[in-house]
Amino acid sequence: MDHRSPVERILRALALIAIVVFFMFPIFWIVLMSLQTNETILRSPPSMSFVPTLKNYAAIISGELDSNAGTMSIHFMNNLLNSILLSVFSVALALLLGVPAAYAFARHKFRGSEDIAFTLLSFRFAPPLLVLLPLTLYFQALGLANTYLGLVWVYQLICLPLILWIVRGYFEDISPDIEHAYRIAGHGWFATFKKIALPLAGPGIAAAGLLAFIFAWNNFVFALVLASADKQPVTVGALAFVTASGIQYGQIAAAIVMSIAPTLLLALWAQRYLVEGLSLGAVKG
Amino acid sequence: MSRIELKKLVKRFKDTEVLSGIDLDVPEGSTLVLFGPSGAGKTVLLRCIAGAVEQDDGEVLIGEEDVTDVLPEHRGIGMAFQNFALFPHMDAFDNIASPLTACGKTADQIRAGVDTVAKLLKIDHVLSHTPKALSNGQKQRTALARALVSRPKVLLLDDPLRNVDAKLRFEMRLELPRLLADQGATVIYVTQDYREAMALGDRIAVLDGGRIIQNGTPEEIYRRPATINIAKLFGDPTINLLDVVPQSDASGVYATLSDRRIQLDPGLSGNVGRECVLGLRPEALSFTTANDGVPVTIEAETPFNEKAVTLVTTLRKREILVSRPAETPAPTSGTAHITIDPSDAVLFDRQTGIRLDPNGTTHTAEKAA
Amino acid sequence: MSDVLLDLRQIDKIYNETSRHPVRAVKDLNLSVTQGEIVALLGSSGCGKTSTLRMIAGFETVSSGDILIKGRPVHKLAPAKRNVAMAFEGYSLYPPLTVEENIAFALKSERLAKEEVRKKVAEIAHLLEIEDILDRYPGSISGGQQQRASLARALIRNADLHLLDEPMGQLEPQLRALLRGRLKHFIKERGLTAILVTHDQTEANALADRIAVMEGGALQQFDSPLRLKDRPANLFTGTFIGEPPMNVFPAHAEADGGNLKLNLADGVCLTYPASAFSDELKARLLASDAFVIGVRPHAVKITAGGHPAKVYANQWLGDQTHIAARFAGQTIVSVRHDRAHHAPGETIGIDVAAHDLHIFATDSGRAFSHGGALA
Repeated sequence: MDHRSPVERILRALALIAIVVFFMFPIFWIVLMSLQTNETILRSPPSMSFVPTLKNYAAIISGELDSNAGTMSIHFMNNLLNSILLSVFSVALALLLGVPAAYAFARHKFRGSEDIAFTLLSFRFAPPLLVLLPLTLYFQALGLANTYLGLVWVYQLICLPLILWIVRGYFEDISPDIEHAYRIAGHGWFATFKKIALPLAGPGIAAAGLLAFIFAWNNFVFALVLASADKQPVTVGALAFVTASGIQYGQIAAAIVMSIAPTLLLALWAQRYLVEGLSLGAVKG
Repeated sequence: MSRIELKKLVKRFKDTEVLSGIDLDVPEGSTLVLFGPSGAGKTVLLRCIAGAVEQDDGEVLIGEEDVTDVLPEHRGIGMAFQNFALFPHMDAFDNIASPLTACGKTADQIRAGVDTVAKLLKIDHVLSHTPKALSNGQKQRTALARALVSRPKVLLLDDPLRNVDAKLRFEMRLELPRLLADQGATVIYVTQDYREAMALGDRIAVLDGGRIIQNGTPEEIYRRPATINIAKLFGDPTINLLDVVPQSDASGVYATLSDRRIQLDPGLSGNVGRECVLGLRPEALSFTTANDGVPVTIEAETPFNEKAVTLVTTLRKREILVSRPAETPAPTSGTAHITIDPSDAVLFDRQTGIRLDPNGTTHTAEKAA
Repeated sequence: MSDVLLDLRQIDKIYNETSRHPVRAVKDLNLSVTQGEIVALLGSSGCGKTSTLRMIAGFETVSSGDILIKGRPVHKLAPAKRNVAMAFEGYSLYPPLTVEENIAFALKSERLAKEEVRKKVAEIAHLLEIEDILDRYPGSISGGQQQRASLARALIRNADLHLLDEPMGQLEPQLRALLRGRLKHFIKERGLTAILVTHDQTEANALADRIAVMEGGALQQFDSPLRLKDRPANLFTGTFIGEPPMNVFPAHAEADGGNLKLNLADGVCLTYPASAFSDELKARLLASDAFVIGVRPHAVKITAGGHPAKVYANQWLGDQTHIAARFAGQTIVSVRHDRAHHAPGETIGIDVAAHDLHIFATDSGRAFSHGGALA
């Protein structure tokens, strides 16, 4: 049990390499493609060596795309901005609403609390298409169609249950005696929430926020149906490349890289919190 | 100003009654030990007094004022928890200071208050450590310091020595009474260790199954336990309990052991013929060379700190433990005789487990004094 | 001449040997246990006692050294082949079997008649007060009952060696004294050889013929309870064994006419006639700069003419009284078997006889004198 045999170690390394290749290959390929011109990409047989170019990124950023059919204007940077705005505000609102709610569910076992909590979680499981048609009608009627407010509101369906479920687990993990001790020492319930519960659940809140950000960023269906071109995030904006005549693979690749970069970097930077947050939330829930 | 009174306190969890009508009166400045096996409801009771948990019925009075509707932060209580309940993200200094920050003291006052109590409990050198970096003994003393620092009128100490190693527990058992006396607070101290209970309490209230079975001084509890269960909980080695049926003749009232008579208090004559249990404390029994003692067979001898404990059996194979100071010589094998002082014996009713007193009175569970 | 049943020779146990921080849990342990003996491995957590037991059982490999049972090297054998029975700290009862079936399982290899097995199980269940839970499942009984069931399973077998890991830790305090007596009687009657691991020195003292006191992976002393109490080998053993613990005071000696004076802190001076100490001891004491004296609580006598000490605690525990007083700048504890009425604040007289003194070296902690003579 103390020593690993060399054979075991080699097999383990091979397995790890295989898994890494399997998951990372598409990303690696896309990054490679984004640095190649269309000619290099379409060359047959494919060649490993090439001269990397940043022309694709320049094109995306400037909004002017060169294709065989002439120059097109695609405001991808606008899509990127929309993604950032939508995700940030959705998560902010979800945290503002969800964290206190999670605290209430964790600490105050009021009548029906379990049922309400479960109902809220079930929104995660419901297919978005279920609510999409009614929502479109409501949004038109309320004048919320194609507004940031409307989208942020709808995005709560994605973010809020997640925050609620994970953060509740974290609050439940804090021994009630610690909060009792702070109350008995003379502090009120809000001071206890602010100074004790929030800091101790901090990692969980951060993890939940991160996850909610990623899910909000990746959402496609709500933005597709409830927003028009100027408010659409990158998930929908990427479609524009497909409909244009003369597909510029390199530019699409660059657009995709820019779409996934924020969440990928965020996840890499905070991976420890994510794993911790996911596993603990799952066990408690 | 800080007398604690509980009147018919009831607390239920789901459908079970965890506390069934508790009456308690703790005089100002005294220490009451709340004693009982695990699950008896001691921690729940403390939480109700502190306001951390709301009782279902009954009143809590502190200093003659009904605090039933008062929030925990306004009850002026210092509490030390069984598992310390230290704030993990703050260092020991901030932990101890938290009762002082709540009442708006200046930074200097806070520093002075914390330093005083930390020096008293010998943790002044670890104030900058977080709980993770403290040993169990240091955590326990930090929790205690936090309870004491604002000199509250009421102190609730929930088994503070439980998670602490034997050596430190012994040391603290000697130091605590003086510490608590200096504070001048009214104290309720919870423990499952009978030695701690006898050492620290002016009075002991024994809680079992959500009720107070007996409330008395350590002397009363030890010498005149209300029930067999209480007799078993106080004393190490445990009290010997032997089924007997008292008889009487010209010589008086007696019980039979190994075919020899043990004289009992003549006032117990009302129990002749009744099925009883005789309680004999191991230290009240001694070996004798005289032949008129009770004959027994020696099974095993076990040293026990400053004492030696011998397991013996009677003619009918009933087990009895005899304890003596280790220096006293005694037989270690074969047969021997033991003597019993009748004034040390306690008689219980076998059916109810309740103590039988001379002159026909049966002990009833005493109300709060 | 009793046979040696278990022989541990130069046993070393190192955890995480190849990592950056190897942990030497057991250091050069030499120990032999004779047939029919009860030995306790005693120490605080992390001292190496559990590692040692697990090595004897075969659940841990030996980093270096030999283990012999009845002269046969067993340290490379699997546990099943060593003919040892073990009661685990975590009980390890089989959940799908009743308590009775769990205990009877240990007798499977002995191929006894069903009636014989039932009788043996009933006997040991009666001893350990678990008769009324024989038909219950491990999941439905308390921790203390599970522990007793585990103990029963280990003891019912006829093995060369019985290994008990913290056998009574979870036991209800009321049962401990009684069960200790019964257990000792059971083991001695059948001539079993047992090794138990415990951190509770009261338990070790009660049950063992000899106690191996361990600290930091090293054996401190291996002796009978009486010798450990009367002649501790070092300061650690002296203060570890015994409750209340031994009172220790730094001191230095000086000669004064026909007397030997031991100077403690705070101007306290214990004076003894020179004849109370052997000549070699006197010479050694006078030659040392400083040393540590130890005196057990029961040997601290309260007399009218003794050294003044202010009482700060008087605790009556039913069968004994503990009195704590300020003495020589520290606390001194005295134990009496009667009820003493010295109230806190009162000044009492402390007296210690020369033959109750234990003297230890300041640097190494090694004991060099017990009762007025060199150790």
